[in-house]
Amino acid sequence: MSPEFIVAIVAAIVLVATPILLAGLGELVVEKSGVLNLGVEGMMLIGAVTGFAATATWGNPYLGVIAAAVAGAAASMIFGFLTLTLSANQVATGLALTIFGGGFSALAGKPFLGKTVPAFVQLFPDALALHPIWRVVFGYSPVVYFSLFMCVAIAWFLKRTRAGLILRAVGENDQSAHAIGYSVIGVRYMAVAFGGAMAGIAGSMFSMVMTPIWAEGLTAGRGWIALALVVFASWRPFRLLAGAYVFGAVMTLEVHAKAAGGIFSALPPEMWAALPYLATLLVLVLISLRRSAASSAPACLGRPFIPTA
Amino acid sequence: MQLRLEKRPEPSRVLLYGAPVLAVLLTMVVGAILFSLLGYDGVGSVLEIFTRPLTNPLKWQDLGVKAAPLIIIGVGLSIAYRANVWNIGAEGQYVAGALGGTAVVLLTMNMEGPWILPVMIVGGILGGMALAAIPAFLKTQLNVNEILTTLMLNYAIVQLLYYLLRSPWKDPMAFGFPRTKMFTADQSLPYLWSGTIMTWGVPIALLVAVAAWFLIGRTVFGFQVRTVGSAPNAARHGGFSAKQTVWLALLASGGLAGLAGVLEAAGPFRQLVPAFPTGYGFTAIIVAFLGRLNPLGVVIAGIVLAISYVGGEIAQTTMGLPSAATGIFQGMLLFFLLAGDVFVRYRLRVVSARPAGGTA
Repeated sequence: MSPEFIVAIVAAIVLVATPILLAGLGELVVEKSGVLNLGVEGMMLIGAVTGFAATATWGNPYLGVIAAAVAGAAASMIFGFLTLTLSANQVATGLALTIFGGGFSALAGKPFLGKTVPAFVQLFPDALALHPIWRVVFGYSPVVYFSLFMCVAIAWFLKRTRAGLILRAVGENDQSAHAIGYSVIGVRYMAVAFGGAMAGIAGSMFSMVMTPIWAEGLTAGRGWIALALVVFASWRPFRLLAGAYVFGAVMTLEVHAKAAGGIFSALPPEMWAALPYLATLLVLVLISLRRSAASSAPACLGRPFIPTA
Repeated sequence: MQLRLEKRPEPSRVLLYGAPVLAVLLTMVVGAILFSLLGYDGVGSVLEIFTRPLTNPLKWQDLGVKAAPLIIIGVGLSIAYRANVWNIGAEGQYVAGALGGTAVVLLTMNMEGPWILPVMIVGGILGGMALAAIPAFLKTQLNVNEILTTLMLNYAIVQLLYYLLRSPWKDPMAFGFPRTKMFTADQSLPYLWSGTIMTWGVPIALLVAVAAWFLIGRTVFGFQVRTVGSAPNAARHGGFSAKQTVWLALLASGGLAGLAGVLEAAGPFRQLVPAFPTGYGFTAIIVAFLGRLNPLGVVIAGIVLAISYVGGEIAQTTMGLPSAATGIFQGMLLFFLLAGDVFVRYRLRVVSARPAGGTA
């Protein structure tokens, strides 16, 4: 295998892994606060179409990404109002958001069908990436570096800051957090908005970085992979980073399995495609067998909060 | 100032049945506004989608064809949700049902007889049940969350479908297209009368709804499902096993989704193609909620959602709306419905100041 081929494969894996990493990090924070938002796919699609439309209108991809984040957060507030203020069922509301997002993006994106937008320029100058090996480090769009930064930032936030501790407390025992005097609903609103913004940015990667052209339903179910990823990572940011790249590698193999030859072509490509979901199932089973507190689901996940006192 | 929910002493009967109607009306109004904001003819689109399927008698059969699988799956999900078992894997169980039925089809390709179709249907039900048995086992034995497991299996089973169609089940005469042979006459669901596109799937759906209504309302099984779902402690004292209920809920909802899958494969499709999964399993979740988790309500809800599908197709050709735009209405409908549901049990109070000693 030539260095160029390896660089191309690594670049492909990074490109596939980044959106699920971004959306997964957002959902991780949401779930840590005790909320299960199954609307990731819908928020991604809303972010994808908004980012694309904003870039097409203003001609600046950075403004496009910001617009995608705002749109994702706005969409998540529909979910937030229903599940947090009105205590509606989180599973059903999240599904409704996904169905709604798919329809909304198709309708809002129709004028942009087949159009292209100016892509990101690479963050680092070409001079740094002259040799193919250096391109593995310096050759990506800024969103990729942003996703890595956010992973470190979220890990630090959850583990080392007071606000992170409060967020985890709200997710583990909402009644106690409430009794101590923290606003359970307020914390969850912020977490849900953050998750929405991250999903929006993740979605914008599909329309602005991976293929800078608008097509209906272009996220192709990756929002669900991001949800699986959070479970696969057992709610830990660095495991999520590793998991995103493992899933990214598997999804890249699914496309190139035939060409790669050897053991890769021995399995049918559909098996590779199903692998992220089957691996997540396996992780769920392992978590339940081990029962270690650090790697199990937040205790209040998916339960509406209604103060008892 | 703050909004607070306050529990009603009694659930509001008016809202219980009024909320779905209100949700449909609100969906139409807000949908028209949203479509207008996006630069479409809002009022025209809504009228096209929601009234044209009803005013054009040629479309009534389409409604039946679309409503039948939604009703069958929705009835199953109503049973599961009443037991507080969150099966969101109906889409996968629907596909598994079609796979089960098609397995029988491929084994009986050179045979004849009226016995084939019933065997296929049993194969379909078993297929759906088999896929639902995985989350049931994991939930009862290892306490693994069924929301996540049923969700994951949706996507895994679709890959199995793709694999089977690309390789072992592919029709060798299909010019390389991934699809099975056409089902024979004995393997296909008969039409209700000649010249219609409605198959026996439609009366079967109604039969399933009535049977489930009787089962839930009038039998010990139904009482068990309702009690475990709404009052788990009372159910334990009453001797109802929570584990058994999880199994029953998942097998019933999985089996019915499988039934819908095999009926769809043997009815409108008459072969298996990669485009077989169309999201009925997800839409049926809306159907179950809109129908108040009541099998007879599910029949009405299934027809309402069928209207949105058929109307969406009409608007696609007459107004150039993307077919996925139907999702806006389906999503909003569920939003309004869930919001409305809250007010059945709670009322919203505006609290101006918090009592002394309270914290935000």
